[in-house]
Amino acid sequence: MSAQVRPAVGASGLATDLNAYRQALRAYLGAEPRLDRWRGARYTTTEERIRGHGMLMGALHRDGWNRYGWPEAAGGLAGDERHRAVLYEELSAAGLPVPEPVLMLETLGPPLVRFAPYLAAELLPAYLRGEEWWGQGFSEPEAGSDLAALRCRARRDGDSYVLSGQKLWTSHGATARRLMCLVRTGSPESRHRGLTMVLVDADAPGVSVRPVALASGRNELAEVFFDDARVPASRLVGAEGEGWAVAMYLLQFERAMFAWLSATVALRRLRELRDMLTARDGHRLPDGSARRVGECYADLVALRARSAQTVRRLAAGEAVGPEASVDKVLLATAETGLHDLARDLLGAEFVLGGPPEVEEWRADWWYSRASTIMGGSAEVQRTILADHVLNLPKERGA
Amino acid sequence: MTGTALDAATTELLAGSLRELLASVSAGGELGPALDALGWAEVLADDPATATTLLFTEHGRALVSSRALDDVLLAELDPALPPAAGSRALLYPHPAEGADPAPLDGPLWGVLLGPLHGVDEVVVPATAEGRTVLVTVAATDLAAAGGPATGFDLGSTWHTVAGPRPPGSGPPAPEAWTRAVAAGRRALAAEMIGVCESALTLATAHTTDRVQYGRPIASFQAVRHRLAEAYVAVTAARAVLDAAWTAAGGADGGGWAAAAAKLQAGRAQAQVMRHAVQVCGAMGLSQESELHRHVTRAAALDALLGGHMALAESAGAALLAGADVHPVVEL
Repeated sequence: MSAQVRPAVGASGLATDLNAYRQALRAYLGAEPRLDRWRGARYTTTEERIRGHGMLMGALHRDGWNRYGWPEAAGGLAGDERHRAVLYEELSAAGLPVPEPVLMLETLGPPLVRFAPYLAAELLPAYLRGEEWWGQGFSEPEAGSDLAALRCRARRDGDSYVLSGQKLWTSHGATARRLMCLVRTGSPESRHRGLTMVLVDADAPGVSVRPVALASGRNELAEVFFDDARVPASRLVGAEGEGWAVAMYLLQFERAMFAWLSATVALRRLRELRDMLTARDGHRLPDGSARRVGECYADLVALRARSAQTVRRLAAGEAVGPEASVDKVLLATAETGLHDLARDLLGAEFVLGGPPEVEEWRADWWYSRASTIMGGSAEVQRTILADHVLNLPKERGA
Repeated sequence: MTGTALDAATTELLAGSLRELLASVSAGGELGPALDALGWAEVLADDPATATTLLFTEHGRALVSSRALDDVLLAELDPALPPAAGSRALLYPHPAEGADPAPLDGPLWGVLLGPLHGVDEVVVPATAEGRTVLVTVAATDLAAAGGPATGFDLGSTWHTVAGPRPPGSGPPAPEAWTRAVAAGRRALAAEMIGVCESALTLATAHTTDRVQYGRPIASFQAVRHRLAEAYVAVTAARAVLDAAWTAAGGADGGGWAAAAAKLQAGRAQAQVMRHAVQVCGAMGLSQESELHRHVTRAAALDALLGGHMALAESAGAALLAGADVHPVVEL
């Protein structure tokens, strides 16, 4: 922790003065030569990328920057959600990636801090250092959109829970050190009442993980099998039977913080796409391109504007609740729109080949299709808004 | 420059007063005296963002047609003009030209938001040698060139103006015009949002009451999802408008962000009206419901000072020409 490379860090003012944090961070990101290796870095596999990005977290952590916005008891330097949001914004503006592990950190960190502060104190520091990252075990083969139908069981046995069942479509699952899983502790018919959240080590006996490749060939997802895997009762996140409440708390962050984070990355990607397209000699863009670019940009601005409001509400300790589905719908619109734009404007290169940066757009295109599926499908989000925000008459049988 | 921000309770109280006021104003009537009686100037000075958004949202919701928008643009233009000889109105560029004033050496072409009763002079922006100049014309000289707009929005008091240009000159004021357009776009975005909110309320009520196959049609997923999408569109437009107000203090009057806000509101009205008309069935496209008036008003507001298609096109063209990918929103 050499003082000369990070004169501003540790200055207590940064935790309470968001603008001072922003300015100091911007100066650091612009001047720190050690960060250059992550600018424009390309990886051929998901595993390589997440490890590379873990090292970026390590670099940011060494100089303190990614510790703001997390409580001191959990290895942070205090501040609130806006500090984290500013970090993602400034990384993207500086042409750096938002480290992949952060995606799940934003989803899993807040519920851990809220419902299991002792676990956050023990385990979050290593996550912040980029030494490990976690997956989220929600979906199952028979429980996707209908999450409350999940069947993966946890049976209390002394000081432990014994897990049996399966999780599917776990992002970062193939390399995750731990998995935050929603499991059934109640009767099979107990729906959302009989659920419990638990943090499982991926290398515990009885846990096996199989990577699942996207259509791009990249192992973005995984399936996880629990064969009488034993988890200490101290690894519960929230009380037994409180899993649904923990999940709902978690989803506010998954829908809103993740939306802001994705918006910062998407704006960088739009800039990179524009630069790539306009740098080509004699390449004529198809008619209508300007309007497509303008529409895509408008979608990104809408996502930024809305998710910034939500981040401010979360930072003020407000419960965002079902309104977070607006952020999620805007996120999915922006993500699919941006990648469809890239696909259409890259044209033949997208379909037939082209330089490595085009390959990245192809892989990302498939991942962008997940934006209307994961964390509650596009249809689920609209139903939440219809039920809980517009208060429309319920669907029959729902 | 800014005073005390309005708190939520005061804003709600003001919204109620505005609704009453707007319900009592006749078509093409003057809002000014009633707003003066409400002490609006003070509210506006205290918190221009909240006050302007509130006034124009309610204006839209009530489907009022008035020259209230003139005050917004003239507030930016007046400092660049000689002192007014009586009351002023503004001639807006014809929607076919977006926000670009017609050439000074060509004929008059534009839109007035109401008849010129009680108006002494009209500010006519024009383009001369690539810059905007502000020509002031006697209202009597303009009267012959204008007539009520007879297009889509039959409920408006708008007049189209086309004819020979009366003699006159005025100071070049490109910066003032840029600021005026930005301010006008923020107000128009708020007004479109108001129209959309009102249309969504109508569509929600209709689909909740209307029973087919033994159940309210709002219990069918296809209908519910359309209404949810409409809600998302309005909410997004409101968020971008808030961001545009944060940027309003910038050098160009927050022009880029104001254009983004009007673009988003324009796209929102297109989506909201498409969904609302569909879920209201035949009610939506007949005079049996008020919905059609929302459709036409929103379309007219979208067209003024640059429609959503044109704004998307120009933003995209600017980006492809190398413009900064402006973040618009800061935390």
